[in-house]
Amino acid sequence: MQFTATLIGDAATLARTHAGMLAHLPATLHASILVELQKWPTLFEPEHRYQRALLEHLSGLPKSSLDSATAGIARIEEQAGINKVTDRHPAGFQDAAQALLRQRGQQVAWRSEVDGFFRTIDPALEARLYPADAPRRVVVQIYGSGIAVQRDKLWSRFKGAGVRVPLDLAAAKSTDPFLRQLLGAPDGGGSPALLDAASAASPLDAWLVESHEALHDICDAGQTKSAGGGATGLSYDRLRPYRDGLTRALNSKIQSGVESPQAFAAYARSLQIAPPAGALLYSADVLVAFVRDVLLTGNGTLLMNNTFVEWAAVQAIKRAQPRVLITRFGVRDKLRPFSSMVMFSQPRPSDQLPSVQDPAGSFVDVEQLSYYVWLNAEKTPAYRGKTLYLFLAEGVDEMLAIRSDRPAATASGLPRARLADVYATMAQWLGSPPAGHSGQPIEPLITGT
Amino acid sequence: MPPVSPRTLDPSAALRRRDLLRMMAACMVDWWLPRRLFAQRIAASRKPERRVIVVTFGGGVRYEDTLAPEGWVNIPHLASELVPQGLVYPVARHEGLTGHFNSTGAIVTGTRQNVDAYGSEAPVTPTIFEQFRKEHALPPEEAWVIATNKSFGLMGGSKLRAFGDPYSANVVLPKQLLIKTIKSAVSTNSGPGVEDRRALAERMMLALDEGYEGFGWRVFESERTLGPELKASLAKSLLDYFNDPAAPTSGDELTFFMTKEIMNRFAPSLLVVNFWDIDIAHYGAFSLYLDAVRRTDRLVHELWQHAQSLPAYRDRTTLMVVPEMGRDSDVAGNGFANHRSGDESCRRVWLVALGAGVPKGVGSQRPIRTLDVAPTVAQILGFKMVECEGRPLPELAF
Repeated sequence: MQFTATLIGDAATLARTHAGMLAHLPATLHASILVELQKWPTLFEPEHRYQRALLEHLSGLPKSSLDSATAGIARIEEQAGINKVTDRHPAGFQDAAQALLRQRGQQVAWRSEVDGFFRTIDPALEARLYPADAPRRVVVQIYGSGIAVQRDKLWSRFKGAGVRVPLDLAAAKSTDPFLRQLLGAPDGGGSPALLDAASAASPLDAWLVESHEALHDICDAGQTKSAGGGATGLSYDRLRPYRDGLTRALNSKIQSGVESPQAFAAYARSLQIAPPAGALLYSADVLVAFVRDVLLTGNGTLLMNNTFVEWAAVQAIKRAQPRVLITRFGVRDKLRPFSSMVMFSQPRPSDQLPSVQDPAGSFVDVEQLSYYVWLNAEKTPAYRGKTLYLFLAEGVDEMLAIRSDRPAATASGLPRARLADVYATMAQWLGSPPAGHSGQPIEPLITGT
Repeated sequence: MPPVSPRTLDPSAALRRRDLLRMMAACMVDWWLPRRLFAQRIAASRKPERRVIVVTFGGGVRYEDTLAPEGWVNIPHLASELVPQGLVYPVARHEGLTGHFNSTGAIVTGTRQNVDAYGSEAPVTPTIFEQFRKEHALPPEEAWVIATNKSFGLMGGSKLRAFGDPYSANVVLPKQLLIKTIKSAVSTNSGPGVEDRRALAERMMLALDEGYEGFGWRVFESERTLGPELKASLAKSLLDYFNDPAAPTSGDELTFFMTKEIMNRFAPSLLVVNFWDIDIAHYGAFSLYLDAVRRTDRLVHELWQHAQSLPAYRDRTTLMVVPEMGRDSDVAGNGFANHRSGDESCRRVWLVALGAGVPKGVGSQRPIRTLDVAPTVAQILGFKMVECEGRPLPELAF
C-alpha cells in the first residue's frame, strides 16, 4: 500500500532505501513504521538505532521468511477489509484501520499477531543492538523525606531479590547531605561527580526524575546546568508553570465542551505550550517533546507527582536508555473532595480548603511505582543483565541493592556502609572509579560474591 | 458543620435557597402521592416473583488485589460476610475488548461487544433488559441501569428493530450529574465552589430540575407520573447523600444512594449497578486504587443489606457481583494503572452470587465467563435470550 508520509532527513532516506520491503508489509505494519519515522526529530538516539536495525533486518530477510512472519497479520487485515481504508496518511490510516478491526471483532486477534511478529524478530534485533559488552548502567530510586515509610513493608515487592545493605547515616541526617554524599557531590556546592562522569558524552546519559527539587537544587549549586554538559533533569515541581498551562488549556476545553475523547486527544496534541526557561536542566528540543508526551499521554502524570516520576522514568528507560537514572519520589497531596472529579480543574482563589498531604498513601504508591520502574528496566534489553539497582529512603539506615545479572536474594551480613561508599560502588560499577574520594566500593556488590 | 461561606451572607443566595426548598418540598409531597398509581400499573403486568441485582465491581480490578488470598484484606465484607452466604466462582473470564463499555456490554448481553469504547454506540445484540421487558410486557420502571461510568448512557438497550428503546432499561448516571454540577460550581472564581456541601446539593437539585437528559440519562417514562416521581426519588437520594454523617464524596457513593432510592420507590425486578471508582487507578496512585476497592466492597455489602431490609427484595432476590474486567498484570502487562494489554490479568475476574436460589458457602472451581451472567439472569427471571454466546450457570439458574 502507498502512503503519504511527511518524512525528513535520515527518516526519509531510510524510507526510500527500504521502500520495496515496506510496500510488501501488511498495511497496518507499514503504517506503524511510517508513523514512527515521522517522529524522527523527537526520537532519541537509541530509538533511531532501533528503527534502522528494524528496517535493515526486515529488508535482509528472504521474501518467503518475511511473508511467513507477517502472514497472520495479513490474514486478519484481509478478513477485516483493511484494504477498503482510503486514508493514505499513516496516522489517519491507523485510526481507521483500528476502528475497522474493532467493528469486525478482530482487534484482539490482530494485536496477538503483531505481538507474535515482534516476538519473532526481537531476539535478532536485541543481539545486534545490545551486545554482551554493552555498557553497564545504574538505576537509583530514592524515597524522599516525608513519605511515611513503614520499615516492615519497605521494598516488600522485592522479596527474593537483592541484598539489604545497612547504612551509616550519621553524616547524612537530612535530605541535602544525604543526596550529596550519595551522588558524590562535595559539601559546599560542588557538582555531583556521579552525574558528571556519566554525562560526559551527552546529558542524555544521566537522568534525574523527581517529584520535588532537591536533586535539581544540588545540580544548580554545582553549576552543572549548561548547554553542553550536566545531567538531564525533570522535576514535577519545577514544571509547575508548564503543567498549569497545559491544565488550564485542557480544563478550558472541557468546560467549553468536547465532542469525543479522540477530539480531546487531538486538541491536546495541538497545544503550543512549552516549559519556561530554566524548568529543565537540559532543554534540547527532543527533551521538550519528551516532557510534553509524558504529561499528555501518561496516566495521571499531570495530576500526581509520583506518577509523573514513574512514567517519565519508565519512558526514559525505554526510549533514551540513560546509563544513570535517579528517581526521587515525594509526598503527594490528597485528592480534593468533589473538585478533583473534574479532570484538570485547578484550585480557585476563593477555595478555602488547603491542600493536604498524604504521607501514608504516598508510601503505598511509591512501593508500587518504584517496583514498576525496576520491572520495566528489566524488560528493556539495554538494562537487563547489566544494571545495578539501588533503593534508598532518606532517613532509613539500609538500602536494597539488586544486580540484574544476579538478582537472587542473598543474606546481607555486610558491614554498615556510608553513602560515600555507595557512591564509590556506583562509580566503580560504571567503570569510572573516583580518584581521591573517601568512599570505598562495597566489594560484594561489585564482584557479586 | 459546613465551612463559613460568603454565600451565606448574600441575600440573593438566601432567596435562591428558599426557592430551592420550595421545590424540594414539592418533590417530597410528590414522593408520597403517586405511589398508589404506580402500584396499580405494575399489577397489570407480568412482574416475576424473583428479583435480580447485578453489581459490576467495576472500573477494572485485578484478581490478585481482590479475591486472591493476598487481596482479601481489600475486600473484607465480601470475603468474610458475603462469600460465606453464597456461591463464589473464583475463575471467571472476560473475553473480548478490555474497555469498560464493551466489557460491561458483554455482561448485559451475554455476547462480546465491539462497539465504540466511549459509549457513543449501543450494544449490537439485545440486552437482558429488552428481552426481559418484552417477554413479560413490563414497563420501563422494571429494569434499571444505575452507572457511575458516565459513558454508559446507551447501556440500557440495543438499537435493534425488534427491541431497542421500547424495551430498554432506564439508565441514570449519578456521577455525571455530580460532575456537571461541580463543573458549573468551579467554572468561576467566586465561592463557595464545592466546599459547602449544602450549596453543592442545592446546585444539584437545580440541575436535576433543568432536565436529566442533559446528563446522558435515558429514562423511558411509561406514565406521566414517572417524571416527577423519578425527580422526587432522586432528590431524596441527593439529600441523603449530602446529609450523610460519613460525608461521602465519591461517584460510587452517589450511585449507591440513588440505587437505594430507586429500589425503595420502584422495586425493579432487574437492576444493574455499575460501580466505577476503582478506575481512579488510571491516576497511577496504588493507594487510591486500593481505597476504591475497599469502598466498592463496603457499598456492595450495604446494598445487599438494604435489599434485605425491603420486603420487595428480601428472600426473593439474587445478587451477582462481578468485575467487568481485570487490569494489567505487573509482569506481563503494564501494571494496575491500565487495562489495555489484554493479558490474562485483564481478563481474569470472579463472580460472587448470593440470595434466593443460591447455595450457601459454596465455591465452584469450574471456569465461567462474564458472558454467562446474562443467560443466568434470563433463567432466573424467566425469559429467553434470543442471541447469546454465554451459557446459564446451572448452580444459579434453576
